[in-house]
Amino acid sequence: MTSNTGLIAGLLLLIGAFVYTFWPENSFAAQKQKTQLDYLLERKEQLYENLRDLNFEYRAGKYPEEDFEAQRASLETETAQLLSEIERLQQA
Amino acid sequence: MRLSFTKWTFWVKAAQAAALMVALCFTLGATDAGSRFNDLGHRMVCPCGCAQLLGECNHVGCPDSDRMRSQLASYIRDNKGDKDILTAFAAEYGPTVLAAPTTQGFDLVAWIAPGAVFLAALFGVLLVARHWAATRPQAVTAQSETPEMSAIKDKIRRETGADGGF
Amino acid sequence: MATFGSFALIAALALAAYNLLAGIFALRLIATGAQARISPERLADTARRAGIASFVAVSCAAFALIWSVFHNDFSIAYIVEHSNRALPAAYKFSALWSGQEGSLLLWAWLLAGYGFVLRLTHKNDVKLYAYAGTILAGIQVFFLSLLNFAAPPFSLLPGYVPGGPLPDDGNGLNPLLQYPEMVIHPPMLYLGYVGFSVPFAFALGALMMRYPGEKWIRITRVWTMVTWTFLTCGIFLGMHWAYAVLGWGGYWGWDPVENASFMPWLAATAFLHSVMMQEKRGMMKSWNVWLIFVTFMLTIVGTLLTRAGLVSSVHAFAQSSIGTWFYVFLGLVLLVCLFTFILQKDHLKSDHQLESLVSRESSFLFNNLVLLLGCFVILLGTFWPIVSEYVWDRKETVSGPYYSAVAIPIGLFLLFLTGVGPLLPWRSASLKAIRRNFVIPVIALWGTVIVALVAGVRPWKDGEFQAGTFYALIAFALAAAVLTAIVSEFLRGAGVIAKQTGKNLFAALVLLTRRNTRRYGGYLIHIGLVIAIIGFAGAAFNRNVEQEMGLHSKIHLGPYDLECIGFSQDSNANYNSEFALLDVTSNGKPVKVLTTSGFTNLQMTPEKRVYLASQQPQTMVAIHSVPEWDLYVVYEGINPDSGQPIIKAILNPLVGWIWFGWIVIVIGSIIALVPSIIPSTVVLKVPARATVPTAALKGGD
Repeated sequence: MTSNTGLIAGLLLLIGAFVYTFWPENSFAAQKQKTQLDYLLERKEQLYENLRDLNFEYRAGKYPEEDFEAQRASLETETAQLLSEIERLQQA
Repeated sequence: MRLSFTKWTFWVKAAQAAALMVALCFTLGATDAGSRFNDLGHRMVCPCGCAQLLGECNHVGCPDSDRMRSQLASYIRDNKGDKDILTAFAAEYGPTVLAAPTTQGFDLVAWIAPGAVFLAALFGVLLVARHWAATRPQAVTAQSETPEMSAIKDKIRRETGADGGF
Repeated sequence: MATFGSFALIAALALAAYNLLAGIFALRLIATGAQARISPERLADTARRAGIASFVAVSCAAFALIWSVFHNDFSIAYIVEHSNRALPAAYKFSALWSGQEGSLLLWAWLLAGYGFVLRLTHKNDVKLYAYAGTILAGIQVFFLSLLNFAAPPFSLLPGYVPGGPLPDDGNGLNPLLQYPEMVIHPPMLYLGYVGFSVPFAFALGALMMRYPGEKWIRITRVWTMVTWTFLTCGIFLGMHWAYAVLGWGGYWGWDPVENASFMPWLAATAFLHSVMMQEKRGMMKSWNVWLIFVTFMLTIVGTLLTRAGLVSSVHAFAQSSIGTWFYVFLGLVLLVCLFTFILQKDHLKSDHQLESLVSRESSFLFNNLVLLLGCFVILLGTFWPIVSEYVWDRKETVSGPYYSAVAIPIGLFLLFLTGVGPLLPWRSASLKAIRRNFVIPVIALWGTVIVALVAGVRPWKDGEFQAGTFYALIAFALAAAVLTAIVSEFLRGAGVIAKQTGKNLFAALVLLTRRNTRRYGGYLIHIGLVIAIIGFAGAAFNRNVEQEMGLHSKIHLGPYDLECIGFSQDSNANYNSEFALLDVTSNGKPVKVLTTSGFTNLQMTPEKRVYLASQQPQTMVAIHSVPEWDLYVVYEGINPDSGQPIIKAILNPLVGWIWFGWIVIVIGSIIALVPSIIPSTVVLKVPARATVPTAALKGGD
């Protein structure tokens, strides 16, 4: 390939890149702002996961009864507060 | 917390005992000529640029290793001490011939730093953990529970109790 | 093609720069809500497209270089230095990373490739991806500037005029690189190095935009895992290459370049663990952010070590001027990280506190402590020659003995934590829980110690203490304990599932793993690591014999007898070679191996090659690998006095376990990357409590 054909190929590349970058199109994805509710729902998912995990590990014999009861209680309290907050936001 | 500290004391004691044992054994060992040759050969590197330990350098045509090994053997025959031998080699070939930093002067830093950093970090972690444990909010007591709350809790238990619902 | 390549690189730089500037401008507009003539979201989208176009441009440049290598275009200086006509086609690809310019191009291309995937998948979370894409563009601008201004791969041969005379042939590829693994090892390592730019960009971006919640971690997790796996593969392939090619019988020499790849691995491993605490419990946010910052900076330090000849090393490239560029870049990255961190520090408050010193969380704390200590020690050892020369003007060597003394205890402690961590439950563990979970592993530990002592693994030999054997003994015992702990974790979980679903144990194991691929894939990675560590510990028992071999003379080593039945020479267009033919018997019986023509008697042919273009010699080691050990035979050369070959035979116990462990690690990583089955919230017909008879709880171990 001579340097002239190289130059032409390079220019074609540049034009292609330019056209692709600035092609007028209006269907670009919008930057949605995450709401407080989205955030809380994510947290709920995680807390549910933690609770399921706790149950499973208890069943697998990793927690003595007392440890399990105490931890489930504290996790459930946290989740309950979160859920009531979610409910409040959803009604609003 | 108490539990964790008893456990720690156990580990610390075990580590001390192990360290003592290792130290004791190092002072005992390496007496006969063959093992001294082997030991010292593994405390120096071949200076030809092959980056191998002197005792292991074996590439054909190495300009240094054979000569240095016979030099080492003759030092050992002359009953020179380990330290003298290493000093003699370092004087002849430069300190780069030693495979590890010495235990003198600034070199001590290379040996002390890992342990010091470990202890400092361990201390830091314990401190942080203690601080966390001390400032942890108390668990909410069940008495302050409203009927709505317990309804939600029942729902939670129903939804998560099955750990995935097989 | 040189013109096209250079042009493509300039275009790529321009596009990346546009991505960076337009991205910053647009995100600034969105963040402040200021009015502008163009919609900031539209501007951000053009920035993203410029990033995609920049990938195309870098790809064109990489293609141009490969094309020139294949067409032996000796007008390009780089091709003359790193290729020749007789080079086999597969190794022509290796020319891309055998020199500084080429490997920087590979780096830039992979970075653009990662960026390309990131920018295409931006709909996952448009804003976060816009931040990450812009930060990535910043890194791209740096590497593309290097390629355009400091280390251009397409510069023409000095004094060459178009149409003028050209060299007949190139200087050829470094023979050390002419080995099948060398076609995949560097790209793997680079994929690992470069890949950490992505989690870095996400973490920095999430911090800059004050991303609410921890979901960005879930988004980056795949990237971090993939990158970590590539780096792991790169390191293991490098070890295997060193073992099979360098011919000194070992696989790790604590060379600065090896250390350079190991340090980010340690930091990234720490990150992968501690990030779980953030995802699960919202803890350790600042720490995690810094871990990923440090990991990224260590990859840059690693590149600096290899590319800029900062520390002398067997495989570092010659001293060059690009060091300054890297210092400036490193300083800039550090400043940006510090600035962002200080500005957004209040965003990183923990949601939870540690509840107990004895819990999974605290085991992660210690795991991080030890991993980073390892990282620090290696950093210290690697830079010690520079420090020492600076402080008291003494050039020193830091090699194997220093690291064995310092790093092995750290490694063993880490192995210990590998076993302890999974046994500790999240949040807190009572004494009762500990007793319940630790009994079996502790029995396994002491059982192994006793068995090993009886079998002859004794740290005392003739009244003398053997540190290597002592460490090996500890490693074996801990390995047994850790394996037991992990296997019991699997069995316990599978037991619960088997009871609930009535499936057999194997089906239950599969279901268990699919239910939480991340945890059980992770455990599998631990198993792989433990297997590899057993292999490392085997090095304490290496034996070797070196001998000049006449026709029919024999070497005796362990159970093996090697008989020389001939030595010969051969040559082709690429190299000349000398080799010996050895018949191998074990305890007097021939060793059978499976070949394409069925079981045949083992014959080993260690070889030495001299490559014609570079006039450099190269050892081809003959290896016979069985689970207990490798028989490793090196052709050392011909004794000029007698004309007979010198053969070195080494018996390396358990080396095969290292490669097997690596395969397990890779399988574990792949499993961990598969999404878990999403648990439904369907209620079981039987209440949870009723499914577990109390007897089962007592017999939990």
